[in-house]
Amino acid sequence: MSLIRRHWLSVVAILVSFVVFVIPFIFIVLTAMKDKRQSALLDFSWPEKFQLWENIVDVITTRNWQLLTAFINSTILTVASVTLLVVFAAMVGFVLQRRRTRWNGLINFLILAGLMIPPAIVPTIWLLQAMGLFAKLHGLILIEVAYHLPFSILLYRAFIATIPKDLDEAAIIDGARPLDVFFRIIMPLLWPVTVTNIVVQSVTIFNDFTNPLYYLPGRGNETVQLTLYNFQSQFNTSYHLLFTNILLITIPPLIVFLFFNRQIVAGVTAGAVKG
Amino acid sequence: MAGLELKAIQKSYGAVEVIKGVNLEISHGEFVVFVGPSGCGKSTLLRMIAGLEDISAGELWIAGKKCNHVEPRDRGIAMVFQSYALYPHMTVYENFGFGLKLAKTPKDVRDRKIRDAARILQMEHLLDRKPSQLSGGQRQRVAIGRAIVRQPEVFLFDEPLSNLDAALRVDMRMELANLHRDLGSTMIYVTHDQVEAMTLADKIVVLNGGVVQQVGSPIELYQRPENLFVAGFIGSPKMNFTEVTIDSINGGQVTVSGADIQPTELSADTTGLGEGDTVTLGTRPHDLLADASGNISGHVSLVERLGNETNVSLKLRSGATWLVVLDGDRELRHGQELQLGIEDQKAMIFDAAGQARHMA
Repeated sequence: MSLIRRHWLSVVAILVSFVVFVIPFIFIVLTAMKDKRQSALLDFSWPEKFQLWENIVDVITTRNWQLLTAFINSTILTVASVTLLVVFAAMVGFVLQRRRTRWNGLINFLILAGLMIPPAIVPTIWLLQAMGLFAKLHGLILIEVAYHLPFSILLYRAFIATIPKDLDEAAIIDGARPLDVFFRIIMPLLWPVTVTNIVVQSVTIFNDFTNPLYYLPGRGNETVQLTLYNFQSQFNTSYHLLFTNILLITIPPLIVFLFFNRQIVAGVTAGAVKG
Repeated sequence: MAGLELKAIQKSYGAVEVIKGVNLEISHGEFVVFVGPSGCGKSTLLRMIAGLEDISAGELWIAGKKCNHVEPRDRGIAMVFQSYALYPHMTVYENFGFGLKLAKTPKDVRDRKIRDAARILQMEHLLDRKPSQLSGGQRQRVAIGRAIVRQPEVFLFDEPLSNLDAALRVDMRMELANLHRDLGSTMIYVTHDQVEAMTLADKIVVLNGGVVQQVGSPIELYQRPENLFVAGFIGSPKMNFTEVTIDSINGGQVTVSGADIQPTELSADTTGLGEGDTVTLGTRPHDLLADASGNISGHVSLVERLGNETNVSLKLRSGATWLVVLDGDRELRHGQELQLGIEDQKAMIFDAAGQARHMA
């Protein structure tokens, strides 16, 4: 009795998270193993025939190996965007935290506005077209950087506030130029929050569906999330291939998450505890 | 040689003036201590010399070069911070060598200088440690080592010992004095602790409210403070003050009396003083003697018996409390009446403007 009374809340929490997180994933895995006929039933059942390998081959070779192109595109997009995000957000956070000017209020407002105001798609496309960046991978990289910069800046600024200013000054006395101070002293100390940024932003950008859909149309421009469209249409959807595809494109973010899990927590809390 | 000269240096943040025109000359090899209460501008002044704060007006000359707009790295200075400001992600070795690395010193020269500094500070065995693995005193030594390695013309210390415990502070104070003797460089040291100032300095600069109150050797400041502020700030325990009236003037001698003191004759510079003027009399706790025929009397309110001396808080007739340090052990009771005399006329007179009236 006392065992139940003490642990019932934990049990409920575990059950809820099992239902919310694990069951959908099991559903994906099971459906990815089924054949076309059984998967069309969309039920939670054991596969009559296991054909995961055939499904994987089908998914990868569809439309002239489109998934591979998509993986390459998404990887370039994610790596380039996250690199730029980390460098720029850390620099902006550093300057904003250390240099007090009368523009700080305005800049902070703009950063918050970037978080709150929804992006206007059509004008952005006009602008991209005018600059010749529409339907170009580097155009989308700039879009992703712009959309995700405010959040990264907020993370960095809070963390930089905990690094004593004496360190900057000691480095300046030691002969460091501004870029030396940033790259040799501040940046190494930002490692925990940089990891957080890398994980959070790379998962978001890798999994981004709408922005590539709007800003990166055209053959050879697919990103992984857009390959999902290959297997669904108005009258006929190959659910077994769709779910195999989902399974394949879920793996990279999952690996990133598992790998950096510990450090994310450290990064998120580090800014919070020290005032 | 690396002397410093400050000419009418000023610092203001908007309308607030923090440093109000400081003139100061520091010659090569001097150990100068800036001392004053918190908020007096001593750290700001040091940071202006370092180049971490802009100079609002006036001129700063280091080693014969005007340095108002020279970058900190080109001023030939090194600074030790109160918080040590060690680079947490670097080992002691890398901390020492950071400045040299930035200056693109060849690797073998760098290595030799780092090991020399480590030997001077006796921390060769700690070179591979990170700052987080060091104790407070060791961290302080790393901060000093980082300064030594750069072989600066001028060392700047911003309250370097205030984060250490009392025993360690005394040790480090002696080490700093030795270091100054060995290196022979100019050192400027900021502290609010007047014991540090008295023991370390060749020359003390007393600051208050952004104004230099007095510059001089420690003993000069102790024996001949120029004004009430310096008299009250230098010396521990603090000087006792009381208001008195001038009864008569006779050449270099004045006779004063007040609510707390019977007529007493003292030597003082009497220029501009007249009979009936109100002045302040100051006397140090150590210069008072128990004397049955003395002309100060009060009631004992607190006794601290230390064995070799006895500290007595004395409540005077006007309600003021004086601190008296008497030689040897005395058995005194709370509330007991005590008569005191001033030893060898060791009392000072300060005029209405707070200026000391010492005999020339």
